[in-house]
Amino acid sequence: MNCSDVRDMLESYIADDLTDVESARVAEHLSECATCSATYERTRNLVAGLKEIADAFVPADRFVVPPAYATGPKGGWAWRVAAIAASVVALAAVSALSVPAIARELPLPVAREIGALEERADELQQQVDELTVRLETIDGQEVAIVDTTEGDLSAEESEAVQRLAMDFVRAQYAGDPDALAAMGTDRLKADLAAHPGDYLRAGGDGLTFAQMTEAARTEDGTYLIFVRLSDSGDWSESQYQEDFEIKRVGDTYLVDFMGMDA
Amino acid sequence: MEDNELVALAQSGDARAFTMLVRHHERSLYAAAYAITRSQWDAADAVQDALADAYVHIKGLRDPARFGAWVSRIVVNECNDLLRKRARVVPMEDPPEPQAFVWDGPEDGLDLMRAVQTLSPDHREVIALRYFRDLKVAEIAEVLGCPPGTVKSRLNRAIGSLEATLRPGTGQEVPR
Repeated sequence: MNCSDVRDMLESYIADDLTDVESARVAEHLSECATCSATYERTRNLVAGLKEIADAFVPADRFVVPPAYATGPKGGWAWRVAAIAASVVALAAVSALSVPAIARELPLPVAREIGALEERADELQQQVDELTVRLETIDGQEVAIVDTTEGDLSAEESEAVQRLAMDFVRAQYAGDPDALAAMGTDRLKADLAAHPGDYLRAGGDGLTFAQMTEAARTEDGTYLIFVRLSDSGDWSESQYQEDFEIKRVGDTYLVDFMGMDA
Repeated sequence: MEDNELVALAQSGDARAFTMLVRHHERSLYAAAYAITRSQWDAADAVQDALADAYVHIKGLRDPARFGAWVSRIVVNECNDLLRKRARVVPMEDPPEPQAFVWDGPEDGLDLMRAVQTLSPDHREVIALRYFRDLKVAEIAEVLGCPPGTVKSRLNRAIGSLEATLRPGTGQEVPR
């Protein structure tokens, strides 16, 4: 194996992509050839450098999902609660009309729509039955807690995650990036440094925690919790949701991801 | 949450899960697109369009474990479409500098990206997929539609060229 052969195989050698025999022959040549050995060291640094910059480009404008996204089905509980509430109101109105009696007099498309609404009613009722909402006091504040999963977390665990999410939101409104960073993993810290505007919020005098899910834990140990809040007295205009992914590091819980949802 | 779980949720229509996938992959997708297109703005366009396509077609992805390679292929295709369009445009002037990205890496890391961008298109692709998207040779072969042997030889040559470009005394240094 000559120098040229070896240099043509260095990438594969470093990636451990050669057969044992090939790998042994490259290693043998490197031990005997100072020039190739120096090239090997530089190439190894080069490969490490490339890997290091893979995650170093933080897009200045975050990539947004296509418009269809906003109208597509959403998985969040808050959306479901809102949809259920809206539909319950709609159904009450429809029921008051005494559908069968007047259906004959309505234009066909309207009658069809009412039929579809009735079908949706059963489905929604089932969703209402599955959701349980209860009030709990966390950090001295009364918050509606939505049960989304079987209660497989201990109360302490769930409350620690809930407290962290609430503290994080408060620090957002206090405009305190240091406090936010102290509550975050390295990934969150990097994102916070790159996009502080995504985290820091102004105002918040009327900050109210409207609802919060119980913490859920995924198979990989990540805790998920969704917080619905309002940041001014104008309840209808100022409600939104923050979605948290939280990791446990030793005895400390840290926010790994926070995203806003409508 | 792992990609596999997020893909499964996104396939069932969970928009938030798709957003999380985007956040997990956006940096390395952008790095790959920037290496291939050599334009910070084209790279942003390519990734944005690719993610829109991915969102529409994610239900068609049979094996969630292949999301990384699958979305890489969409990005590479978008980049190549853009490069083809650009080939028909007579360049006037470089766009002004407000950057399409914020640099969150070692001080001299951008020199390394510039060196990658001097490579031939084939070599830029394999470097982007291997080191920025962390794909295996077999996955790159699938993304590019060529035999694994071709990927290996392109990778070796691309790394050889990069090493020669950055060798001490040639004007640029290997970062680190």
